[in-house]
Amino acid sequence: MAEYSCLIVEDSPMMRQLLVFALARVKNLRVTEADDGVDGLRKLASARYDIIVTDINMPIMDGLKLVKRVRSDPFHKDTPIVIITTEGSQEDRQRALQLGANAYITKPIQAPQVIATVKELLKIT
Amino acid sequence: MPDSRAAAARDSVTQSGRRLPAVLRLMPDSKHNRTGPPSDRAPTDLHKERENLLQSFSRGTRLTEEVVNEHERLVSRVAELERDNAVLRAKVEADDAIRELLGKIERLEQEKQELLSHVQEVEANSSQFSERFQQVECEFSNLANLFVASNQLHASLSPRGVMRRIKEVLAQLVGAEAYVIYFANQEGTELVPIAAEGVSGDALVNQPIRTSRIGQVHQSGDASIDEEGDPSRGTLGNPPAILPLSVDDRVIGVIAIFSTLAQKNRFTTLDYELFTLLRRQAAAALVSASLFTAAERRIPGLEAFMDLSV
Repeated sequence: MAEYSCLIVEDSPMMRQLLVFALARVKNLRVTEADDGVDGLRKLASARYDIIVTDINMPIMDGLKLVKRVRSDPFHKDTPIVIITTEGSQEDRQRALQLGANAYITKPIQAPQVIATVKELLKIT
Repeated sequence: MPDSRAAAARDSVTQSGRRLPAVLRLMPDSKHNRTGPPSDRAPTDLHKERENLLQSFSRGTRLTEEVVNEHERLVSRVAELERDNAVLRAKVEADDAIRELLGKIERLEQEKQELLSHVQEVEANSSQFSERFQQVECEFSNLANLFVASNQLHASLSPRGVMRRIKEVLAQLVGAEAYVIYFANQEGTELVPIAAEGVSGDALVNQPIRTSRIGQVHQSGDASIDEEGDPSRGTLGNPPAILPLSVDDRVIGVIAIFSTLAQKNRFTTLDYELFTLLRRQAAAALVSASLFTAAERRIPGLEAFMDLSV
């Protein structure tokens, strides 16, 4: 069975822990954590990931900048990206999607929704 | 030749010397079989007798023809009946085959109904299982949230770290947008805001314990939660949730949630569990961290733990 890798980019340790707990429910998914956008880019440069789950509001480099950088990287330009943020407006959603994000989840997150989104993007049945 | 046979041969010869056909010789009533001498019969009778004989012969011929025709007709009829019989037999066999097929169809239909019933049963079970699976997943998600919240509340021993985590629980897990955390003053007359989010500075005022709605929650020790309204539309004057903060059954402060994020339009089961967690653990974590800091982060000596064994 194929094994997938996921990079979680989130500055809040609590949210990271929650996401790790949620994604542990997806079979054959290996999860790596990054504290912010810069840490995320560093990890993306050293390994290939099948999916990226990132927060928008982060210090140093926010999630939208990270999406832009990832999409300009030939190595990860097609990697699915899930944005997680407290912003629930349609404008923010559109902005993230225009930059290349594939899905958008608003806080407070629900584990089943995160699992379903990741499974759908990875085409896991 | 024996005498009887010679006599018979003699009798079969007519007076004119003609020999009669063998068939006339077999006719018992024939005058030719009369045993009297030829001189006793009248010559005119011969012609009549011949005519009679011919008529008899003709009748015999017709009779034979009729018999032959009747035989042919009967043979034909038998053949016809045999054909009919064959057709009927084939039909009966076909009927049997049809009956057998109909029986088979009936059995298959019954089997189909049983299978359909079984499929429906399996589908119902599957649906139940799926529903149950979703419930379990939801429960798991809630437990994970509670575990993470509890784990994070006690992950720090600095008051600032604990407060940051309390705020994270409120913002990230509950979805609170505007809230204030109050602690009671030493006199026990007012609640003083010690941390806030989404509330302007001029709104951060002390709340009298005896007269304000927030103060009443402190007094009673019972949470005030608007279960029906939309918490995202809450106001400073009408907070949708007010939670007392307790340490060892003593209320020492209050969390007032004035509004939630726009997408959070009702409190869920998980929120109520998180409220309970905050009520019981947030203040305790804060007090513990404060005492640890006041003790200059010194771990108590062994003697502090010696009397704990049972």
